[in-house]
Amino acid sequence: MSAPSTTPSAGTAPRRAHVAGRTKLDFWFDAVILLAYTVAYSYGFTGVVIHEWLGIGIGIALLLHLTLHWDWAIRTTRRLLDPRGHDKVIWLVNLALLFAMTLCVASGIAISRVALPELGITTLQTPFWFRLHVLTAEVTVGLVPVHVALRWRWIAGVGRRMLVWRPRGRSQ
Amino acid sequence: MKFLRQFAAVVAVVAVVVLLGLAWNRFAPSLPGEGPGGEAVPVQGNVVKAAPHAVKLSPGGRPGAHGALRINNGGGLGLDLGDLLQPENLAVLRYTAELEAAIIAAVVIVNASYRSLRRSRRAKTGMPPPRDTDLS
Repeated sequence: MSAPSTTPSAGTAPRRAHVAGRTKLDFWFDAVILLAYTVAYSYGFTGVVIHEWLGIGIGIALLLHLTLHWDWAIRTTRRLLDPRGHDKVIWLVNLALLFAMTLCVASGIAISRVALPELGITTLQTPFWFRLHVLTAEVTVGLVPVHVALRWRWIAGVGRRMLVWRPRGRSQ
Repeated sequence: MKFLRQFAAVVAVVAVVVLLGLAWNRFAPSLPGEGPGGEAVPVQGNVVKAAPHAVKLSPGGRPGAHGALRINNGGGLGLDLGDLLQPENLAVLRYTAELEAAIIAAVVIVNASYRSLRRSRRAKTGMPPPRDTDLS
């Protein structure tokens, strides 16, 4: 890939639109989480080892994702009772996703056959946690795309700004 | 400092959800029926998901006990990445990706239609558009 941003002397060379570092982080981090969940859900594709380690990674990523958007969660929760408040549907979807994904990762840890035993941790392996893992994974695989799609304008906007080359000298 | 404070709050919220799960297990250890993606079937000590409806087994792929898909890499503890690219394993990934893409497309269409409808209503009444909220 050419790198016009590294050749500032080229006055007419195309450049990418400026995107804030935090926005870039959100965009790529969320894309990686989506990809990781898609792969981890496909148990028949990954096999047990990748499935379990990827699941633990998703658990850590979930904590970071929630932390990065904690301000939004607090702000939107405070505005829930405001009749003009936005994002009520997204808030509900996100709350359901928080429960489903947390329980999915927690139950996955509870029934781990490879990752945790390898670390010397004994797991529960009871039918309840097996069934809870399958159930929450099914709910999550339905909610994750809804969570993504409800932000399609933001994704499209940031994606366009990051991927489209603009001629130098033009404003964004 | 702010990040750490928020991280601690997130960990506390997640811990509450996990505690609710533990309480569920303790006081009402029953769950609703399985979803459409297939039942969890224990096969020789492994939980193996039944093949999704869209997945067709290749001539080499054999259904296992109780109709569960026999996963080439399912029982092994080693990381045999070559198995990932086998057709019957790739079909599972493709099914998940198609399912997610279909849901995303449906929600985007509904959302765009709803916004378009609201915009045209607002144009008729002369109301200003609402400000968009950011993610952060």
